[in-house]
Amino acid sequence: MTYVVGENCIKCKHTDCVEVCPANCFYEGPNTLVIHPEECIDCKLCVPACPVNAIFAEADLPADQAAFLELNAELAQIWPNITKRKEPLPEAEQWNGVPNKRQYLAR
Amino acid sequence: MGTSVMSKDKYQPTSKAQAFLETVRNGKYKREIITGLAKFIDGTVPEDMRTLYTPEQLKNLVELRGTQRDVEARMPVKITRHYFDLAKHSKPLQTLVKANPNETADLGGAPDPGKQMSYSPVEGLIHKYELGLIYVASTCSAHCRFCYREELIAQKEVERPDGTLAPKGLAVIADIVAYIKQHNEEVARNGGRHPRTGREKLREILMSGGDPMVLANRNLAEWWSALADSGIDSIRIGTKEAAFYPERFDETFFEMLDNFHAAYPGTRLRFMVHFNHPDEFLRKDEQGRYIDDPAGGLEWVPATRRAIEGLAQRPWLTIDNQAPIINGINDDADALRIMQREMRRNRVENHYFFCGRDIIGHKAFNVPIERVWQLLNESQKGLSGVEAHARLSITHYKGKTEVAAVSNQPLPGVPGTENGFVVLKLMRGAEDARDRGKVTIVGRNPDAIWFNDYDDRVIYDEAGLYADVERPKATMLLQRQA
Repeated sequence: MTYVVGENCIKCKHTDCVEVCPANCFYEGPNTLVIHPEECIDCKLCVPACPVNAIFAEADLPADQAAFLELNAELAQIWPNITKRKEPLPEAEQWNGVPNKRQYLAR
Repeated sequence: MGTSVMSKDKYQPTSKAQAFLETVRNGKYKREIITGLAKFIDGTVPEDMRTLYTPEQLKNLVELRGTQRDVEARMPVKITRHYFDLAKHSKPLQTLVKANPNETADLGGAPDPGKQMSYSPVEGLIHKYELGLIYVASTCSAHCRFCYREELIAQKEVERPDGTLAPKGLAVIADIVAYIKQHNEEVARNGGRHPRTGREKLREILMSGGDPMVLANRNLAEWWSALADSGIDSIRIGTKEAAFYPERFDETFFEMLDNFHAAYPGTRLRFMVHFNHPDEFLRKDEQGRYIDDPAGGLEWVPATRRAIEGLAQRPWLTIDNQAPIINGINDDADALRIMQREMRRNRVENHYFFCGRDIIGHKAFNVPIERVWQLLNESQKGLSGVEAHARLSITHYKGKTEVAAVSNQPLPGVPGTENGFVVLKLMRGAEDARDRGKVTIVGRNPDAIWFNDYDDRVIYDEAGLYADVERPKATMLLQRQA
């Protein structure tokens, strides 16, 4: 199993999760984060750490976000590892909870 | 748990630590973890893993879901590919890692028989002896069904000494460092003993969890350098990773070990590994027999051998094995004998074997104390002295206690020993060493799994293990006569 960063991270990218991840398995893109599914150790600490509830256990991933399982696996191979918390994106507040953010995912 | 695990004050590494941390590389790991039963139930586990549970076994487990007997709620189910490959051909390993309805058949026992929470001055720290135990991870690569930290792993609420309920939090570097410094300053100002507890300087930290080896190298390195900088002279790493995922002990890890030793030569690392059964590290042939190694001893699983050899090649660290004796896993004198012999051959000291704790939901795993002693004693027949160093320990809240002897013979003239007696010896006090070496003698009770099963047959109690027990008059009389 793995944990999966879902749609609500896009354009927010708070990065509280990377600070609690014992395995350092977060990877950073221009406007979202992803989890490397092979490196994730299933500890669940990132789920409550996310201020916008963007992270799910693979088994709890909402059906309309199922594509994020593959997206996490794919992008974690390409993007750089992130282990230190940084400031969220400037418009994080406005974008929290906005539907259909997937179209804005920047690679 | 959420933000409560984040400390207000962020830990700032010293410049020495910073220089070391800059040399640390994280490795890449592929544990292929399967968590939960869901993927076994819906058949989405890799094809060869589908046979781990029979349809009948899954059906029985599903029926318990949502009830008090839900085994996944008691302890999350988790396995790595490496452990699955070993368990395929090993009944004991399957018992260790597979969920089983028996786990919740008897929910008797105490929530915290070692009174651990009363020794926790800071979140994530248990301070006993001159040793502090810290929880640095809330999971392992795979989960032993008999784990007695299931409240941490499953994030259950535990009662604090002040009566409040909250899940156990993890240790935070800044908080632990602040506590160590303050404690040791108080000890130094008071001439070597803490004014309130009588404890000595805190000089050793045991990193536990969960398994510290699930932490990335950088996170481990941050802990080690912070502990070393705060004056800790030994760091123990309590880990089952050599059994669950030996590839974690890779080149990047050993490079970090060497860089740490170069930066902090005075801070020693002590690896406390956890092998329960030789099937966890020995290769087997088609008939399921261990294979003689032409170079001596028995043939090991190559990745496990590499992990242990990598540690053993570094003379400034030590490796000790300790394991509980668990029903259906290693209550087997022959397996224990082979394990002790192979450990010692490969530079792993046999430290402790443990009696299972009398924790809620542990009845399926407990082997009676006297039986455990007999099994270990039997296993050590045929071992040389240096191979037979392991002692049998049972953790009283007053301190670690050795089950030193079980005799079938009555003590002449001493009532209560007609069926023989058991000698318990306090190895250490939880606060100071004052009572070390003191003994308690109880009449035999072959069904006993915990101290309280001897409440009515205490013969002699120099160690004070039964000081809090209100004893029936007849027993007190016996004790006076004794």
